[in-house]
Amino acid sequence: MKFVDEYDVIVIGAGHAGCEAAYATSTMGMKTCLITIHLETIAQMSCNPAIGGLAKGHLVREIDALGGIMGLLADETGIHFRLLNRSRGGAVQAPRAQSDKALYRLTMKSWLEDVPNLTLFQGIVTEILIKNKKIQGIATLEGNRLLAKAVILTPGTFLNGLIHIGLHSYPAGRANEPASLELAENLKKIGLRTFRLKTGTPMRLDKHTIEWDKFTPQPGDKDPVAFSFRTQKKLENKILCYIGYTTPKTHKIIGKYLDKSPLFSGKITGIGPRYCPSIEDKVVKFPHHQRHQFFLEPEGLETAETYVNGISSSLPLEAQKEILKSIPGLDQAKILRPAYGIEYDAVVPTQLCPTLETQAIQNLFLAGQINGTSGYEEAAAQGLMAGINAALKIKKKKPFTLRRDEAYIGVLIDDLITKGVEEPYRLFTSRAEYRLLLRIDNPDQRLTPYGYRLGLISEKDYESFQNKQKKVQKVKNLLQKEKIKTESRETLSLWEFVKKPEVKLQNVIEYKKFQVNLSDEEMRHVESEIKYEGYLKKQEKEIARIRKIDSVKIPENTDFRKIPGLTREVAEKLEKVRPRSIGEAKKIPGMTPAATVNLHIFLRIQQRKGPHPEECSTWNIKDS
Amino acid sequence: MLEDTIVAISTPVGWGGLGVVRLSGKRSLPVAKKIFRPKKKGAKIPGRRPLLGNLFDFEQKEFFEEAFLTWHPQPHTYTREDMVEISCHGSPVILEQVVRLAIKAGARHAHPGEFTLRAYLNGRIDILQAEAVNDLIRAVSYKQAKISFHQLEGRLSGQISSLRDQVLHLLSQIEARIEFPEERLRTSTERTARTLENLIQSIIKLIDSYDLGKALTEGITLAITGLANVGKSTLFNSLLEKDRAIVTPHPGTTRDYLSEKMEFKDSVFTLIDMAGLGKPLHPVEKEGIKRGKRLASQADGILLLLDISRKESSEDFRLIDMFKDKKTILLFNKIDLPQKMNTEEVKNRAKSISTLEISALKGTNLGKLKATIHALFIPDLEKDQDIIFHMREKLILEEILAFLVEGQHLLEQGYSEEVYVEEFRKTIPLIGRLTGEIRSDDIINDIFNRFCVGK
Repeated sequence: MKFVDEYDVIVIGAGHAGCEAAYATSTMGMKTCLITIHLETIAQMSCNPAIGGLAKGHLVREIDALGGIMGLLADETGIHFRLLNRSRGGAVQAPRAQSDKALYRLTMKSWLEDVPNLTLFQGIVTEILIKNKKIQGIATLEGNRLLAKAVILTPGTFLNGLIHIGLHSYPAGRANEPASLELAENLKKIGLRTFRLKTGTPMRLDKHTIEWDKFTPQPGDKDPVAFSFRTQKKLENKILCYIGYTTPKTHKIIGKYLDKSPLFSGKITGIGPRYCPSIEDKVVKFPHHQRHQFFLEPEGLETAETYVNGISSSLPLEAQKEILKSIPGLDQAKILRPAYGIEYDAVVPTQLCPTLETQAIQNLFLAGQINGTSGYEEAAAQGLMAGINAALKIKKKKPFTLRRDEAYIGVLIDDLITKGVEEPYRLFTSRAEYRLLLRIDNPDQRLTPYGYRLGLISEKDYESFQNKQKKVQKVKNLLQKEKIKTESRETLSLWEFVKKPEVKLQNVIEYKKFQVNLSDEEMRHVESEIKYEGYLKKQEKEIARIRKIDSVKIPENTDFRKIPGLTREVAEKLEKVRPRSIGEAKKIPGMTPAATVNLHIFLRIQQRKGPHPEECSTWNIKDS
Repeated sequence: MLEDTIVAISTPVGWGGLGVVRLSGKRSLPVAKKIFRPKKKGAKIPGRRPLLGNLFDFEQKEFFEEAFLTWHPQPHTYTREDMVEISCHGSPVILEQVVRLAIKAGARHAHPGEFTLRAYLNGRIDILQAEAVNDLIRAVSYKQAKISFHQLEGRLSGQISSLRDQVLHLLSQIEARIEFPEERLRTSTERTARTLENLIQSIIKLIDSYDLGKALTEGITLAITGLANVGKSTLFNSLLEKDRAIVTPHPGTTRDYLSEKMEFKDSVFTLIDMAGLGKPLHPVEKEGIKRGKRLASQADGILLLLDISRKESSEDFRLIDMFKDKKTILLFNKIDLPQKMNTEEVKNRAKSISTLEISALKGTNLGKLKATIHALFIPDLEKDQDIIFHMREKLILEEILAFLVEGQHLLEQGYSEEVYVEEFRKTIPLIGRLTGEIRSDDIINDIFNRFCVGK
């Protein structure tokens, strides 16, 4: 067996997960090869032209704080910027930006080309080479074999991809790009359990054929907010988006074509995401709605292609044309690319370790849609974590994982590996137990020290982070010291005063004529810290309590089958994994909170101690 | 702990002709074989069918009783473990002998409720059912036995389990607005405020039902109190319809306390007669007063007597003040005598307290008094109103209520959604302890079921 090249890490697939993974490993000193079917479609935004939104914008900021690149790139190529939920508090605000799609992909390619230790390579991987349950390398369609200590697999929708338009279907990874069929077979052969998922994308229209004055413009923010704390350049809105609505006629047409829908005729068996429903889904599920909202989003500055956000569909092309005819302003619109649905293979994510390494094959890491997620940001976050851990593993260093109380990245990965997925997984802020803590205004505080230690944050960036921390702390001290007399004649510190729901920090600082040089970003940070202080303090205590329980040791000779109340399935998993602490046990796929409580009670009884009175309050059986 | 084989008498002591001793655990059958010999020599012990035989005292080497033995092999048993039931004559002496021998043969005495605990730990029943079994065993009134039985059947439907849906709906409305700010959602803060108010009201109803639940399980204790010689013991005797307390015209006759059960309709009340709470004339009386005060403070309710043949005094008012925060009925006694008390004046001072004019001696208005007591302590429930019986449930509901009320407060003050929803999120684990767990996916599912969101 002949190998043509030797790498530390090979990343298969150059989408949002793959790029982030390859950037991380090469920056951490690993000789890395990023291999992709098409060098032209590196970091392709296969679906909508936007990055961010609720929870997703949070993820991008976390990626950025750890030293990843998605945020910088979105800022660099952004043409329409909005901060969502401005009317609500800081914890649920999040940036969203539209990028020039072509520019996004070209800029990523040129950035990666400049990264030391990183080689880009075009090829179709057909096989993952394994020896003694450990990664050896990969083989490509052309018969090349590449040697690697670790492989990160990020194939997106390409594994056994099957595109549906109406009742017509053909294998593809993305429109007009070949699906990875051999690799999909190969994965099953090496023992990974897979399942089918489905997603879809709406049609792209020619902007010259749209009557734009029939729609309501939606401008970007006056003061655009960047994703990255490292972005220096002034951001500019260069386009407008538009809002429109379907009509009752649209819904009638959809009804007429339902028998030609691969979704409703049962042709598509994969499970689609409910937060990205196709228009036929919406019409069927909410028949009493007279109209459904959609957005018209230009895909870039140099292209006429316009993305119709909200009318994703897998109906046949003639139906798509009729749908457009029923919407005033789109009745003359020309379709440049039809909408389609796509089914693909994903790996059951409960087969992964918290580092995203597979349990079955050593040094094989998976990230992105293959793990059952959806979304560019979810993919990038996993890519970054897989990259970091692949590098750490090769360097024989301790793995790097984030807890649910540290980052949305922690919530995302913990959900995947312990609960598994039933539909393409999307992050929501409500999935986080500590939402008020995991804000967009403090990811640097939470994560940048990690990024620095991992070697992903430069000395210069770390220094400016520390300076910012000092500056912010000064303002906090000032606010705690200075007093104000309120209308009701009570004297409060400014800090306490800002806690009132109607008070804005900005106004207080202006009123007091403080010479503090806080950026809008820093202002939002300080304001959140004040407004949420009560909750944050309580949650800190709660987190400490949970960490204490997590640290409870499980004796080596524990017979998990003898623990009362555990299902046989859970007991067997515990026997197999043999966790050394409750925290480790909690990371085991399928471990329910009830099972954790039973395990904890059992350990307590073993230790001949009664339950701790404080913990008792969370136990069900205390008074039976 | 679950390795042991346990044994206990499972029929109430001193009841009826038949007694049952139960064993549960791996060694149930070997233990039983030591103390039981089939009538038919060498007969095999069949599963789930009673077998006639004799009980054998292996120490004295003698048979002492005829009995049936039934072996229930696991897992289709109450505890999901091997179980044996020995039914024999209900004499406590025999039953205790069986238990003693079983323990000698290797079983252990079961802790109270341990069979049910095992059923719970082995996943046979859920926590609500486990509690219902306990109640069924201890039920003091027919009404409660009926309710317990329904719970055991797994039918604790009604408000308690609908609470989960209501909380879920509350959360999903707010979360939908937070997660999908760009969508036109059919929800608003006003709607959330309404959902919240309804939820709060149904929880308050449940919490209030606990008094009834407690009344039905434990009975209600009523302390008859008042100054010396206002007719407390007379009332005590009249309500019980027997001369239980000694009655004299001399103040301070009752120096200690007496307690007796009074039945009315479907409920049982415990009446306590005690020393008058006036100035003591004798050291023994002083001790009686001290005890009386303590009893009154521990009682569920107070029957406070005033003598209307005397003028109202500051002492009377002091007592009214003392008990105005308890469930109290103010009784104007001795209406058979000429009235000297200004009852209107007294009623003014005791605004929130219900009052009634009676003659304990002549029995006037005593029927009305019983009805008043019943109405105050055993309220009529709305149809289908769930009743909670456990302090545990009540405490959890009170915790939930406190979070909801705090969240309501924040909402009304104009705090942002992500702030007040924090209060509601705190109820999630509490709801889980009452009914099924709420997972973050459940909230997201609810959003997708109720709102057309996503692009």
